[in-house]
Amino acid sequence: MSADRDSPGPTPPHADPTKETPLAADETPRIRVEGLTKAFGDNRVLKGIDLTAAAGTSTVVIGPSGSGKTTVLRSLNVLDQPDAGLVAIDDVAIDFATLPPGRAGRAQVARLRAQSGMVFQSHHLFPHKSVLENVIEGPVVAQGRPREEAVADARQLLAQVGLTDKEDEHPFQLSGGQQQRVGIARALALKPQVVLFDEPTSALDPELVGEVLAVIRDLAEQGWTTVIVTHEIRFAEQVADQVLFLDGGVIVERGPAAQVIGDPQVERTQQFLQRILAP
Amino acid sequence: MRRTAAALLGALLATLVIAGAVLGLAGPSPTQAATQAATQAATQAASGQDEDRRVVRVGTEGTYPPFTYREGSGEDDLTGYDIDVIEAVADEAGWDLEFVESQFDAIFAALDSGRIDVIANQISFNPERDARYALSEPYTYSQGVIVTRSDDDSITSLDDLEGVTTAQSSTSNWAEIAREAGADVQTVEGFAPAAELLAQGRVDAIVNDNIAVLDYLNTSGSDEIKIAGEAGDEGSEQVLAFRKEDQALAEEANAALDALREDGTLAEISESYFRADVSVPDGGDADLSGGREGRTTWEAVQDTAWPMFVAMVKITIPLTVVSFAIGLVLAVAVALARISRSRVLAGLARAFVSIIRGTPLLVQLFIVFFGLGQIGIRLDPFVAATIALSLNVAGYASEVVRSAILSVPKGQFEAATTIGLDYRQTLRRIVFPQAARTAVPPLSNTLLSLTKDTSLASTVLLTELFRVAQVSAGANGQYLALYSVAAVYYWVLCTILSVAQTRLEKRLDRYVA
Repeated sequence: MSADRDSPGPTPPHADPTKETPLAADETPRIRVEGLTKAFGDNRVLKGIDLTAAAGTSTVVIGPSGSGKTTVLRSLNVLDQPDAGLVAIDDVAIDFATLPPGRAGRAQVARLRAQSGMVFQSHHLFPHKSVLENVIEGPVVAQGRPREEAVADARQLLAQVGLTDKEDEHPFQLSGGQQQRVGIARALALKPQVVLFDEPTSALDPELVGEVLAVIRDLAEQGWTTVIVTHEIRFAEQVADQVLFLDGGVIVERGPAAQVIGDPQVERTQQFLQRILAP
Repeated sequence: MRRTAAALLGALLATLVIAGAVLGLAGPSPTQAATQAATQAATQAASGQDEDRRVVRVGTEGTYPPFTYREGSGEDDLTGYDIDVIEAVADEAGWDLEFVESQFDAIFAALDSGRIDVIANQISFNPERDARYALSEPYTYSQGVIVTRSDDDSITSLDDLEGVTTAQSSTSNWAEIAREAGADVQTVEGFAPAAELLAQGRVDAIVNDNIAVLDYLNTSGSDEIKIAGEAGDEGSEQVLAFRKEDQALAEEANAALDALREDGTLAEISESYFRADVSVPDGGDADLSGGREGRTTWEAVQDTAWPMFVAMVKITIPLTVVSFAIGLVLAVAVALARISRSRVLAGLARAFVSIIRGTPLLVQLFIVFFGLGQIGIRLDPFVAATIALSLNVAGYASEVVRSAILSVPKGQFEAATTIGLDYRQTLRRIVFPQAARTAVPPLSNTLLSLTKDTSLASTVLLTELFRVAQVSAGANGQYLALYSVAAVYYWVLCTILSVAQTRLEKRLDRYVA
């Protein structure tokens, strides 16, 4: 879909599954996170998260509920503000320990946010706007792009997610799977560097999960850089270039899907997968 | 949405015009009808050539026949003994007059705050007033009497008032005399309501001057009440009251009164109202034959329905619309301040809401109108009422707006944030349209309350719908009929607003499954 995106590169092998993937010296990662910590009151949700993701790769985050995986995702666009640590997407970086308060800080956060698009668990479409209006709201109002151009792009995106004939409908007229696909088109319309998915199928009826996963799989194949929090282990196996298993606010195991899901090295990963995959 | 609102407003006005036309059929035609303001403007324009004439603003009740009242309604000017006297004085002294109607209880406050220059309203001389104000020489001499129900022979003198309930204007010196005699004084506005309370058995007696009582008996034809005895042997003397610093005006008035007494004008005015000369001490008993004509209920309703309608369209509705619009804007500002990150803003907003909701609207209105007037901020009655009502709306509506904003799911704010909208864009484009759905029903309640609360503006010299009814009823005693007509007007107005509310709600619900 876009020529400027790198194709997913091969993931280098690694010896220690808890340590970060080393990158070649000339390779600038699309996403870089270092030493991220976050507490809600006394509850330390993130206890030092490091990760990198190369452009065009899909990173899938799995883990039990309360492990901090959604907070990691929401740190990437600062819906939850980390207490300390670094988040960088391309050349926009914030070191949260030194983020100035007030207007200056908010401007930095806005710049980082503009690097990503987000798909929510329960879509959060704007109920008073039509499908097309939902998709062009960001490009036209926030990015100031010409309306005609934004509409043309939006129609292309709606075709891509299979909703060509739905642009004048309102969200309440759509099924859950259709709503979630509009949510995906809305995120893509921003032309972000990274697309974040927060459990995109968890709120859906089982028979609607497939159509949404198919769209996400297409995106990964087209070279979008994605970070996906999900419980769909089989799906993760198919799309992930790297899988992170989180528990208790730390990354317990990381690596290619074939390793973390197919042949987990750490006992806690094995237990989690057994629980979740057992019939 | 805007087009629908305009259509609804149009429908509302059309309905009101039709309603008013039907009610006004038997009354004066719309072109004949004019408000007091228009009449005043014409009077001023007519006398405008004489540039050196000084404009003197006269405070008077307008509900106290035969001294100060409206004959008929609408274009008919104020009339009465005191009005004729002050007009004669003005002729003699070379003043232009501008009449300001005020309830008696507020009339000295109006003088103090500089809204009026003189009170012509049967102000009785007493030492306290003499010390505080510049008083003219007397132009009426009267004798206090005690009035009771016709079948009550138990009260004949001041001694019998011990423990008895009387109805008086609170600041009249008859109230003081009644209190000194040990009576429990109920406050009313003018003699006609007092007589009504007495006839209905809600009070036992009234202490008042003989002239007003005789006039009431004469014009009402009432045999339900009677003069039962004299209230002491002291007569009282009525004077014009000016501010102390306007001593020169008082002296001009005295010179004019002397001249008018000399040439018999005062006696003539007095005879025309009382068939007796009350402008000199012991002017004799009134001849009660004849007298002014009373009006029937139907005549009173016919006379007053159209002026009430005009007042509703010209004052009540604009006051409601303007106050609601300003109030709503303020309410949004206060609501945003309350949920803002700034503790100072949030604290200020909380304090504002607490003060507005914790104090009576009437008190707020008096602070804005009379209170600010005293420190030199003299607001036009309409402006003062608009300010007080807007602030009141803001206080109540801000809580509605706040809870409506908070009722929009957090995910909507987050989604707006992730597509790059800033706070202002998020509120305007995403949050407010959704909050409106939650806010409309409670805001409609606020609007209905406001519509009815505009009647309180009658207390700050604003001649709106209810004040017209009050003035007219004060003059002809048709309380039940005229207040009922006023109630119907308010009810129709509120019903139309309720219909508009239902349609708006339906519209806002259209994107909800």
